[in-house]
Amino acid sequence: MLILFQIFILFFAPFLFLGLINRIKAIWAGRKGSPILQPLYDFLKLLKKDEVISKTTSLVFRIAPTFNIAAVIFAFLLIPIPSFGSTISFNGDFILFAYILGLSKFLMVLAALDTGSSFEGMGASREVTFSSIVEPAFFILIGTLALLTGQTSFVSIFSLLNPSAGYTELIEILFSVALFIMILTEGSRVPVDDPNTHLELTMIHEVMVLDYSGPDLGFILYSAGMKMVLLSTLAANLIIPENLSPALAIIFLVVIISVTSILIGIIESLMARARMSHVPQFIFLMTALSFIAFAVVIFFIRGGIR
Amino acid sequence: MDYFLLGCLLFVIGGLVAIFFKGNVKGISFLLFEVAAQFLILPTAFNALIGGIGTEKLISFSEPIGTAAFRLDALSAFFVIIISVGSLLAAVYSIGYLKHYDEKKYSFSSFYFFFGVLAASMLLVVVVQNAILFLIVWELMSVSSFFLVGFENEKEEVRKAGIYYLISMQIGASFLIAAFAWLSSLTGSYDFNTYKNILGTQGTVSIILFLLFFIGFGTKAGFVPFHTWLPRAHPAAPSGVSAIMSGVMIKTGIYGILRIILLSGIPEKGLAFSVFIIALITAIIGILNAISQKDIKKLLAYSSIENIGIIGMGIGLGMLGLAYNIPIIVLFGFFGALLHTLNHFLFKSILFYGAGIVYQKTGTRNMEKLGGLIKYLPITSIIFLAAVMAISGLPLLNGFISEFAIYLGMANSLSYNNASLNILMIIGFSGLALVGAMALIGFTKLFGVTFLGTQREKFEYQPKEANALFLIPMIFNLVFVFIIGLFPATIIQIISGVINQFTQTNSTTEFNAILTVYYSLSKGLLLFIAIFLFFFLIRYFLLRKREIKNFKTWNCGYQLESSRLQYTGSSYSLPFLELVAAFVPQKTTVETGKEIFPVEVKLKTSQHDFVERIFIQPMLKYVRSFLNLFAWVQSGRMQQYILYGLIFLVLILIWIIGVR
Repeated sequence: MLILFQIFILFFAPFLFLGLINRIKAIWAGRKGSPILQPLYDFLKLLKKDEVISKTTSLVFRIAPTFNIAAVIFAFLLIPIPSFGSTISFNGDFILFAYILGLSKFLMVLAALDTGSSFEGMGASREVTFSSIVEPAFFILIGTLALLTGQTSFVSIFSLLNPSAGYTELIEILFSVALFIMILTEGSRVPVDDPNTHLELTMIHEVMVLDYSGPDLGFILYSAGMKMVLLSTLAANLIIPENLSPALAIIFLVVIISVTSILIGIIESLMARARMSHVPQFIFLMTALSFIAFAVVIFFIRGGIR
Repeated sequence: MDYFLLGCLLFVIGGLVAIFFKGNVKGISFLLFEVAAQFLILPTAFNALIGGIGTEKLISFSEPIGTAAFRLDALSAFFVIIISVGSLLAAVYSIGYLKHYDEKKYSFSSFYFFFGVLAASMLLVVVVQNAILFLIVWELMSVSSFFLVGFENEKEEVRKAGIYYLISMQIGASFLIAAFAWLSSLTGSYDFNTYKNILGTQGTVSIILFLLFFIGFGTKAGFVPFHTWLPRAHPAAPSGVSAIMSGVMIKTGIYGILRIILLSGIPEKGLAFSVFIIALITAIIGILNAISQKDIKKLLAYSSIENIGIIGMGIGLGMLGLAYNIPIIVLFGFFGALLHTLNHFLFKSILFYGAGIVYQKTGTRNMEKLGGLIKYLPITSIIFLAAVMAISGLPLLNGFISEFAIYLGMANSLSYNNASLNILMIIGFSGLALVGAMALIGFTKLFGVTFLGTQREKFEYQPKEANALFLIPMIFNLVFVFIIGLFPATIIQIISGVINQFTQTNSTTEFNAILTVYYSLSKGLLLFIAIFLFFFLIRYFLLRKREIKNFKTWNCGYQLESSRLQYTGSSYSLPFLELVAAFVPQKTTVETGKEIFPVEVKLKTSQHDFVERIFIQPMLKYVRSFLNLFAWVQSGRMQQYILYGLIFLVLILIWIIGVR
């Protein structure tokens, strides 16, 4: 059951996630919109295409997308499916989770620099700058969960997150918002980044992959969707109570992932991308929320500084 | 132990013998002695490290040293192995590196001689357990490395850097002298063993002594704010020497701190807190400054400071574990610190070797002038890439393993119910994540700008791949980078003897728990590789029958190819540096001609080391104004000096007459 569900998520969720966002945006704009599975069709088409590779590039450019897709799939195996547990689990797995995504980011950034294009250099530069704000915030967030439960692996943290302990709802809300900001940043969505255009000078993620084509571009498309599915699954783990029956938990999970993508779609319909100099302030909001959650745990649940 | 001391002697003899030869024979004769020394030193060291068979030898010297103890326990053996192997590899590399220089202009003899002395003195530093002899070999190490830094002494910047380095080392040593003198007056002995019962039990005096030691050893290691010599000395030295200084020599400072902790027993909570905080600041300041550098070796020097900070965090964590009596944190902390010491030696040596190759093949260390080197130096570049990924702490490579231990130690202490410890740990937790993210910026910049893209300025001659003498040491280290990265449990078992020295209680259960974690981690990493290979094959089969066209980089319709359109290193790091402008102040000056028509405009940007500006420079100013009070003694007038002589003679006369 777990494996079947995981295979379903691995094959369809990233495309459904992206398709749903596009559909919401279309409906909001009064258009009919493309089929929800359009990203999947795009993906399959890309796999069948030839590639054009820049003469400037080297080995790094060629292996980066493969590393990228392997990293997101591996990261997905580290995250527990509510009421099932995860495929791989050990103490400190969340550190590996963050760093394996870091590995793929490292190589994608190098691949962007490999093309020798000024656009891609610019995108790479912004990508690493913003991730330097997200990373510490993510660790405060996870650290607070470890503090709250006294555990050091995803599965045991989420299984001990007891809603009756008071303040837990507050913490769950703070974390969900913080994780949502992380989804917007890591998934390169409005207001951090606008995935619709790639010629604007303010672009981040889309501009980094300008030179990719064929199967490599397909891998990148998949990874971008999967990254957001990953982080919404993480948020779902926080929200879904532990004692639900497996079938209900999975329905809950699917609902939460869909709600996340609908929310992203709505935000993209309603808001414009923030000015580049304002983006760090937006991401710092995540740091602030994580710190508030930490303070709540220290002062109200642990009983303050003695 | 006799074999060990003989091995140290061989290093020096090798340097002496090399003086009598010329040309290729010089390097080879030196190398022969170095290799022979390994056979004497390594078996003894491995016995002490793995077998737990420590050895001891007492040698009587004339006063004031007295009887000096040479002890080789697991901790010493761990450092001995790094020093011994590191020196050999750097020697192999240096033989290739020196070929670039004219033997008539540069003194190769003194290079090999001081190289041998440096290796021998570093080896002795970690085994000598007599305060006075320790200070002697400590000084010998500083002085011999000073001569190595000054190899290209016809350049003014090299001379300046050398002097700055020597003075820094002397300041650090003066703290050590004070600490050892005080300690010896308390115990009435110079033997380290007698300090064991005294050092940790003196209340305030213990704390002051610990701080004196920490400053003394910390100056060598490069803890902020005593780090300012690293970014000066490393770029000035030949690359083999930079590698041995950064990879090996600064670790003797870490050894010193660890030895003092061993002798102190359970540390004060406040001290443990301070060490942890200073280490975190060191890591952050180090990597912040690294990001803003243009000079490859300067960037590497600042990143050494960062890594010393990470090692220090491990040490601080271990001390916190001791102070709060949480065995698992003690294990994670000291294991992280020790393994990161080894790891940093492995990848930082590769990086300095690689930087040396880039410098020799292109004639510049300024990455803004480089680019696209992966096409000319494919092997060097790939090895360099692996090292860059390792130093950024990315999984599959060894840097991740030690950082993982420190992270997990901090995460474990979160379950301990103590608010001030929890707050410190969450700061450390996010701080280390910040350091990791910044390392990603710094090292993508280093590798991306230097090796990828297209060349920014025309090379004078086409760079060619380096020869075997350069590559062998790099490949040797690379193998271990991967072994530790993928199979960490093995290395834990190897250095378990050292870690156990630090635990006060029996902690087999905790140790096994750590092993289990690393076994699972190892499995996870192998699974990741399997997934990667799966997609690699998919990509291969998809593209097998497809046409892959090579074309220009897509510049959004802009057709002219120009390497000047590329992003530079400075522009790459600019968005981040603007965020942290308060800590990495940049000075930009624009020189414009005041003509009616536009003329050539010059723009110059320079960075300052924030800590140096606010801490070191004002301090130097006060010291200088104090010393200026005595400047009148040296007037430069002959008459005055004759007067001094006369006064001296009269005083002597009075004294003789008075005594009689």
